[in-house]
Amino acid sequence: MNKKYFNKLTFLAMMAMLMVITGCKKFLDQQPITDVSAEVAFSDVPSAYKALAGAYSRLVGDAGFGIRLSLYYTVDTDEMQGPGGAVDNDRRDIARYSATSGNAQITNPFNQLFTGIEFSNICIANIPKMDKYNNGSEQEKKQLRRMYGEALTLRAQYYFQAIVNWGDLPANFRPASELASSNPFPVRTNRDTIYNQLLADLKMASELVPWRTELAAIGDPLDERITKGTVKALRAKIALFRGGYALRSDGTMKRNADYLTYYQIAKDECNEIMSSNQHALNPSFKSLWKDQVNAHAVADPQGELMFQASGIGGVAAADTKLAYYNGPTVNNLGNKSINVLPTYFYAFDSTDLRRDVTCAIYNVAADGVTKVGQAITAICDGKYRRDWITNPSYAPTNAIQYFGLKWQIIRYSDVLLMYAEAENELNGPTATAYTAVNQVRRRGYGKAIGTADATVDLPTGLSKTTFFDAIVKERSLELGGEGVRKFDLIRWNLLAKKITDTKAALLAMSTLSAPYNTLPVSMYYKTGSTSDDNSFGGLWANSFYKAAPTATPSGTTRVVWLSAAINTTALSRYATGFTTGKSELLPLPQPARDANINLTQNPGY
Amino acid sequence: MELPDLKTNASQFQFPKFKLIPTKMLMGLLLVLGMALFQTNLKAQTTPKPVSGKVLGASNQPLEGVTISQKGGTKMTLTDKEGKFSISVPGNATLNFSYVGYVAKQESVNNRSEINLSLVQENAVPEEVVVIGYQTIKRKNLLASVSSVSAKDLKDIPVNSAAEALNGRLAGVTASTAEGSPDADVRVRIRGGMSITGDNSPLYIVDGVQVENGLSALAPQNIQTIDVLKDAAATAIYGARGANGVIVITTKSGRQGKMTLSYNGFVGVKSLAKKLGVLSPYDYVIYQSERSRGSSTDSTNFTRNFGTTWDTLANYKNVNPIDWQDEIAGRTGVLQTHSLNASGGNKKITYNFGYTFNGDKAILLNSDYKRHLLNLKADYRITNNLRASLSTRYTNTNVLGAGVSSEQGSSYSRLRNAVKYRPFLSNNQDIDDADPLADPNVGNGLNLVNPISLANAEYRKKTTDVFNITASIQYNITKNLSFKSTFGYDDSKLIDRQFSDSITPYSVIQGSRKPIAQLDTVTRKTITNSNVLTYSISKFKGKHDFDFLVGEETYDLKTESHTQLVRNYPTFTSPNDAFDKLGMGIPFTGYPKLNKTRYTNLSFFSRINYTYDNKYYFSFNVRADGASKFAPGKQWGYFPAGSFAWRVKNEKFMENVRFISDLKFRASYGNVGNNRINDYLFLTTFRNDGTYYYGINNQAVTAYYSAGLVNEALQWESNESQNYGMDLSLFKDRISLSVDVYNNNAKNLLLNVPIASTYGYATQLQNIGKTSNKGVEFQLNALVIKKADFTWNSNFNMAFNKNKVEALGLNQKLFFPAASWGVSGQPTDYIIRIGDPVGSMWGLVNDGFYKVSDFDYDAATSVYTLKAGTVSNAGIIGTVQPGSVKFKDLDGDGLINLDKDRTIIGNPTPKFTGGWNNQFTYKNWDMSLFINFSYGNDIYNANKVEFTNGYTGNSNMIDLMASRWKVVTASGQTAQWVNSAGKVVGIAPDQLSALNANANIWQPIKGTGAFYPSSWAIEDGSFLRINNFTLGYSLPVEKLGKMKISKLRFYFTANNLAVFTKYTGYDPEVSVRNSPLTPGLDYSAYPKSRSFIFGVNASF
Repeated sequence: MNKKYFNKLTFLAMMAMLMVITGCKKFLDQQPITDVSAEVAFSDVPSAYKALAGAYSRLVGDAGFGIRLSLYYTVDTDEMQGPGGAVDNDRRDIARYSATSGNAQITNPFNQLFTGIEFSNICIANIPKMDKYNNGSEQEKKQLRRMYGEALTLRAQYYFQAIVNWGDLPANFRPASELASSNPFPVRTNRDTIYNQLLADLKMASELVPWRTELAAIGDPLDERITKGTVKALRAKIALFRGGYALRSDGTMKRNADYLTYYQIAKDECNEIMSSNQHALNPSFKSLWKDQVNAHAVADPQGELMFQASGIGGVAAADTKLAYYNGPTVNNLGNKSINVLPTYFYAFDSTDLRRDVTCAIYNVAADGVTKVGQAITAICDGKYRRDWITNPSYAPTNAIQYFGLKWQIIRYSDVLLMYAEAENELNGPTATAYTAVNQVRRRGYGKAIGTADATVDLPTGLSKTTFFDAIVKERSLELGGEGVRKFDLIRWNLLAKKITDTKAALLAMSTLSAPYNTLPVSMYYKTGSTSDDNSFGGLWANSFYKAAPTATPSGTTRVVWLSAAINTTALSRYATGFTTGKSELLPLPQPARDANINLTQNPGY
Repeated sequence: MELPDLKTNASQFQFPKFKLIPTKMLMGLLLVLGMALFQTNLKAQTTPKPVSGKVLGASNQPLEGVTISQKGGTKMTLTDKEGKFSISVPGNATLNFSYVGYVAKQESVNNRSEINLSLVQENAVPEEVVVIGYQTIKRKNLLASVSSVSAKDLKDIPVNSAAEALNGRLAGVTASTAEGSPDADVRVRIRGGMSITGDNSPLYIVDGVQVENGLSALAPQNIQTIDVLKDAAATAIYGARGANGVIVITTKSGRQGKMTLSYNGFVGVKSLAKKLGVLSPYDYVIYQSERSRGSSTDSTNFTRNFGTTWDTLANYKNVNPIDWQDEIAGRTGVLQTHSLNASGGNKKITYNFGYTFNGDKAILLNSDYKRHLLNLKADYRITNNLRASLSTRYTNTNVLGAGVSSEQGSSYSRLRNAVKYRPFLSNNQDIDDADPLADPNVGNGLNLVNPISLANAEYRKKTTDVFNITASIQYNITKNLSFKSTFGYDDSKLIDRQFSDSITPYSVIQGSRKPIAQLDTVTRKTITNSNVLTYSISKFKGKHDFDFLVGEETYDLKTESHTQLVRNYPTFTSPNDAFDKLGMGIPFTGYPKLNKTRYTNLSFFSRINYTYDNKYYFSFNVRADGASKFAPGKQWGYFPAGSFAWRVKNEKFMENVRFISDLKFRASYGNVGNNRINDYLFLTTFRNDGTYYYGINNQAVTAYYSAGLVNEALQWESNESQNYGMDLSLFKDRISLSVDVYNNNAKNLLLNVPIASTYGYATQLQNIGKTSNKGVEFQLNALVIKKADFTWNSNFNMAFNKNKVEALGLNQKLFFPAASWGVSGQPTDYIIRIGDPVGSMWGLVNDGFYKVSDFDYDAATSVYTLKAGTVSNAGIIGTVQPGSVKFKDLDGDGLINLDKDRTIIGNPTPKFTGGWNNQFTYKNWDMSLFINFSYGNDIYNANKVEFTNGYTGNSNMIDLMASRWKVVTASGQTAQWVNSAGKVVGIAPDQLSALNANANIWQPIKGTGAFYPSSWAIEDGSFLRINNFTLGYSLPVEKLGKMKISKLRFYFTANNLAVFTKYTGYDPEVSVRNSPLTPGLDYSAYPKSRSFIFGVNASF
């Protein structure tokens, strides 16, 4: 044995071992390289802003307001109906209230809302813990307080959307990392409990978030982000739902005895918004949609667009399909999957300017400008129109499906109407309630908003009930196609009735029975017209309210108006699966139930 | 020819330039083992005397170049062309005869002057050694359960992938390709995959170093042996990552002797092995007509597409059918391999250098595969006590073609187009025209695209470059003590280019129908180092053998991935332009993306082996592994193992039992770990890679987001295994049998578990539950016939494995993993449930279809109503009609619902698997026939579910639907429909029954339920495959001598010659998802091919 070698080697080996052992702790301590820790993600205002962008991001995309929440889940009310075609275990079945737990289009939206809740929870847990939240500059502190309030508001919005679609749900108000391992299979919590938390959160948020005119003072630009008005409007809205009817787990439609408490909250919040003078109505209803929403405008001089879901990026995950899935087609591009019900078209007064904004009775030819009039069963919803899109606009040959449009969640007119509704419920049709509704009506008819006008104002002397009926109608006329109708009808417990009434009315229309017996059976549009004005005198050559000429006037093309087609194409698929006590909620998606054995199914499914 | 003493002549190639080395010592060392065993009388005759003779080799042909050396002396010589030699040695000397490829032989001179002898070819006598982790030992001394494949077996299997060659050859080892594409993942599973973590492939050790890409970067032609370590006794020394077994690959080294050049090559053709029958054009149109009834939109579309009246539909009897499967997968593929190898060396250096080319023009349109491999291995004996070895490999692989499957779900899976696309061309349509009638707005993006134009529109090229270097140095410090240090560096780079032209679903949905290009670059760099000290004593006091090993190892893996995704290229941009000029398009928001990770692992290990009198064997080893993947405090895992064997044959009482040549019993127990999970999962981290963003001021603000639900408690998964075995050899090793029984229990499984989705994440990685694998394996080898001219060697193996989920997480009895195919929201189709096999198939139980007699008929209104008391399917398929699919009402409540009426409908685990290989030689001919089989496993034929439903308009179905329930009479009248009130209206019951008298399957499901899993889609996946047949002929050596060729063999091989199975899909060996939680899924797999190959093996 060569001792010299051996000793040397033993020594070297021991040295090596020693180095390895001392170095081992460091060697095994690997930290993320491209990812960052919570400390970094919430270190300063710009980084927290990026985390907040994540919380905002779940508003949009196909599974958010990009298409599912906004357009699949909101139709077959007394305004709009979903697409034609055979049953598909997909969007058509949802529109017709025939969805099952295995429907292809309920899982992702459900999951996305909860991702939004989680992303908001992470901001809510981390932003107030930031050093700069308490010790930063005054501006930093204010900006971070605003972000904290925004995260609370976003969480409320996600939960609110989830509850109106699915009812009671597991409540998690902390990040999942703190909850999931101790309570992996959470049970559903009564929605009232969740709503109470959301109302409390929004109360706090309204103190953290500044009004829109106060943003400049804290160094924030005026853009699509949430301001104090948003928080208060959402709080008012949630309060109305907390105080409204809902389908309970026992299969009945009920509202709580203390519902007036919540009407009071709604009224107070709306009142504060109105008296703040931060928000107003755009004087032109058409300009609001055409020149502002469809023109990607950020500047909102009146502040009417109080809460928007802002799509961008042109992909399924982050943009919106508004004006592709719905609205008129251009050069046959688009799905035109939302149709205005003939009854809804005729719910408007002939002089109500909102009719021809909300209803687009044309598609656009290959040249991108020529309008092709459509039959009464093929009227598209008109607030989001491809042919209105500017800044940028798209060539008619462009096959793009995502236009970066913003879905409007809450507008100021909604606040005015909520105020009127709450005030009427609490105190009857007072003067302030009248004023609020009439402002909306005057703008809708193109009148001066602040000036009483007997031709369009609600008739005086309405009872509490008739005033309520007027509100029910006015909300439909003002907010048609904006995804609020179905849930309004549910909180009033009117969905079943309105569907039944609409079915009867559609049938009467298809047989030209009274009161529809004086309406035209044909409509003639001006061939080659480029006018986007739907009205008689614009695109159309005859009146929507008088018997039509029997011969086609020269220079016009005929489309079928009142006819049996209303029965075979519109009515035959309208809300066919609606069952009260069931259809007021969607089924919980099967994969979500498969993943959580404690998640019970909604009544009737 | 006689070589004088080396001290005076250093000019010959055998020992050039190494004068410093004491030659005597060198020679002595070579013989050191032999010395101990032979009694040598050194006092005997010492005067050199000439000795001459002749050496013969195989078939009694003279051998040229045999090295003849004096044992313990310095004399040496070589034989000439006629095999003759002469040498001058003392009469008491022993001569050593050695020749490449032959077993060295020693012969005492015994004062003879002429010695004639024959050498035996090396592979005829298997004195096998096995690598079992930092050590090699003789197979007969093995305590662990190890199966091996050698170069000899591999030569019969002309395949491009070494992994493919393993399939069915070893008990308990399955190597199945998920699909038939040339670069398909070969999934190697040992004993069913002990862990069920995402990746349960075994650990690959190539020439002593852990290699990520395993078998894919090696040419089968370069492999010397593959040892598969199956039980913990063998794998525990690898600790981390040994949980799923270890595959130890030793590549070919050079041998002493003059340089040998060899060429191995083959060329073959391949073709689609099976097609699915589809409806004829007429049947297709008839069904489309049927499908359109009851919906005005659909009827209008039908009229527009196919004609107006029923009568004109008969014209479709005369249109030319197009067989799309043939069009896209029907071409003849070309398979080729050329491998050139040079090896040789002297006593200082041996080397093996090779180049291999594999080409596989696969059967699918536009798919192609090319691989170049360069390898060099050299061993250098620096001094008697110091050896160094170096092995390097470079591999370049190019794979062209988008394939047919996609983990992204159905709309991106392409095989469906070849089955479902309209089986004829419309007017003025060329075969590769995109569809003028295509509707891009069908439900769930399941629109169909002309398969040819789609194949042309989806360009994909994957280039992989792998460079690998392994260097080791071994120093024998003393006779008993040695030190070995091994260093490995592995650098792999993948560039994946995907181009989606305007008609592809991707471009239609996300790219405004303009081309999209995606460029991914992934690099992985691994550095490993191990240092091992071994101390061994043999025959201490005659009976004690002892060795002790202690070592340390570090592993450091860095990965980096870049992704660029660009859209809005001008229409007609070529793929090459798109990748070369990324600026022609506009990147998607959030791109490019970058991700980097680093994983480090540090290990210490030790093993003690002790043998008493060659009868009792003990081994104990332990390994400690620290991994950066876990939180401090949970980083270290400790993995011990012990084994015992009793060599019964060496007992006195067995001495006279002549027919038993060896008998050994073995037992082992051990614990191994598994940490194959992503990095940093124990830390809450935020990512800002552009996945999420929000539009503010019409600008995208990219978001920090939490990419996964953190789990700080993550720790090592541990797999405990017990193995009991017996090795028996009979009749001088003519027959040998190994039997192993094992019981493996895995706990703290690292599983990506679906969690309540209301937490905002789909899954979380958790350590939950326990699974067990119990099984028996048999391996029987027999040299059935051994005659001078004829041999028959038969090798049979069979394995039984039973797998069960023993426990799950807190309060959890089951969960449902998702296989992601079909449409979103469909019920999950697999279950992990305590007491059942892992990945059982879950769904409704099929009960045929509703008959007319299940309904009451109201003649006045023509309405069919389901009879009271008849089970209703309405919850699954909507309105129930005569001819609707029917399911069993398991809970007896009269309604079918997903909550209560689903059950386990299939078991993916085979009852047994195995293989039978027969090798024959007759004179210069050789033949082998290899059969493998599997019995008792179920396959989830999801293709069948999609290919029989009517979910997507204008889609074809497989021919089985020709006998469906029909709702249109022969004269074109609608016989049955659902009216707008949801009522079933139809012709009189007797007429409807008569119309469907021969129906044997339901109406295609159009809406809800179209993609639901049911027992009907579960099929028996048992099969017996004639996997490989080879016939070879070696030219007689006398003819070769003139050509300076030492060996020349021609052969013919047929791969995948026939499959006997009841399975109705393409091929029963299928499992398209990587996750072991959803095994046996057949959906849109690349169809398998059959190949016929002609090849040559030559040595010069």
